[in-house]
Amino acid sequence: MSASASLVRRFTGIQRLFHLGLILLFMLLSVTGLAWMFIEAPWGAWLAELFGGYANLLLVHRVAGLVMLAGFFLQIVYLLAVFDWRHPLRALASHDALVMQWFDVVDFFRHLRWVLFGGALPRFERWGWWEKFDYWAVWWGLIIVGATGLLIYNPVLSADYVPGWFYNVALWIHRIEAVLAMGHIFTVHFFVEHFRPSTFPFSATMFDGGMPLEHARAEHPRWVERLEREGQLQARLMSRPVWAIRLLHIAFGYVMIALGLFLVVSFIAHVGLLKFTALF
Amino acid sequence: MGRLTRGLQVAALAVVLLGTPFPSGAADAVTAYDERAASTGYFREGASVVPGAYQLYLQTPQSLGAYGGLGPRPKIVEGVSFKADAHAGVTDYRPGYGCLDCHAGSEHNLHSARTEVTCRQCHRGTPIAGIFHYYSAMNPIRRHAYVCAKCHEGATANFAAYVVHEPPALAAETAEGFPALYYATWFMVILAGGVFLFFLPFTVGWGFRELIQRIWAGRSHVRVG
Repeated sequence: MSASASLVRRFTGIQRLFHLGLILLFMLLSVTGLAWMFIEAPWGAWLAELFGGYANLLLVHRVAGLVMLAGFFLQIVYLLAVFDWRHPLRALASHDALVMQWFDVVDFFRHLRWVLFGGALPRFERWGWWEKFDYWAVWWGLIIVGATGLLIYNPVLSADYVPGWFYNVALWIHRIEAVLAMGHIFTVHFFVEHFRPSTFPFSATMFDGGMPLEHARAEHPRWVERLEREGQLQARLMSRPVWAIRLLHIAFGYVMIALGLFLVVSFIAHVGLLKFTALF
Repeated sequence: MGRLTRGLQVAALAVVLLGTPFPSGAADAVTAYDERAASTGYFREGASVVPGAYQLYLQTPQSLGAYGGLGPRPKIVEGVSFKADAHAGVTDYRPGYGCLDCHAGSEHNLHSARTEVTCRQCHRGTPIAGIFHYYSAMNPIRRHAYVCAKCHEGATANFAAYVVHEPPALAAETAEGFPALYYATWFMVILAGGVFLFFLPFTVGWGFRELIQRIWAGRSHVRVG
């Protein structure tokens, strides 16, 4: 296969499927969650109407939350299944692992220095520090919103185990973590992955499964060099999808980006209309 | 002597029972409005009741005091909270007033904002009893059954510990009145704020740095070290 016209495989089919499921569920939870939060404002009510009103909105949000938690459980099962149990320490310290390592800390500070016009851009391995951060942020986010979401899912039942004032606390934790997740994904993640000059107008890596080799050499040079050194690069090269599939990926991606940006802008525009409580 | 003592005890109990105002729902049995509006007599009139003094009668769920005291604490419970008519003696009060005419801001809660529940559906009819009045439906000993369970079937006393009129989560006074809410919300705000405070400028700077590098180098990809 011609290396110049190829992609370097970065994600397996099941990993892309996990990401696709995460996108769909996250968007569904974002739309229903914000509609719920802003139900008194016209745009919140309008979003709720798309789901058939307030009651259906809650149902969809709750069911989508449960499905996402099930997906999180499957992700854990998947990790346990693919983990190299014969060499656990080597697996955890592998450059292919998403475990934060010392070189990520070093890369982070070098990256920061480069952004501030000092030094050279770090030569990243397979995963940059920000990609590992994004991955683990999903874990921490899901644990927080999942635990609080389950607590308030059926408050009468939960009251058998915790006092009702836990719901006051859980609701705020749930809301703020959700806003953090949405804000980060719809601004930072979208910009880094799709709107930086080197990725604009769209990075289809997570959808195609592979990254253009030229881009990989520029952004993850240590990874490509390691693959070449270990003679694994050829095995990782893959063809670009046919144009119709690529078009579908781009169209889907842009619909999600547009939806995310719409939610961010709407949130900022309406945050003063929250009537159910006061922060100060 | 023993019989005399017993007789006096029974007589005292009878006096107390006869002198106790009836619940606001039992309007037919009430003889006079003033009597109903009077204090239960269990607590000091007028002045605020210091925390702890009323614990015997509050009968709040045990769990309220658990978890290291992080839950909501009634800092000061006004004397009117123990009256059969919480508005009796309130200066310039007129029965025709709407609740929010005086209790502005009380509508900022999920029950008011998200449902059609009105104030009186929980706080009940005229006169509105203080929420700690012994016969009030809002008294924590029966609030779950007489108020919460109207909508939340199966509500328990533990469930009724939910704070409907939640204090502002980030306000300084909430640190004293509801520590768990205050500290948990501040923690999340600092976490979220910290993430945004770092990542937003960093991301913009990253994009700007790449743009500058591309302009300088005239390359399609950034220069790497």
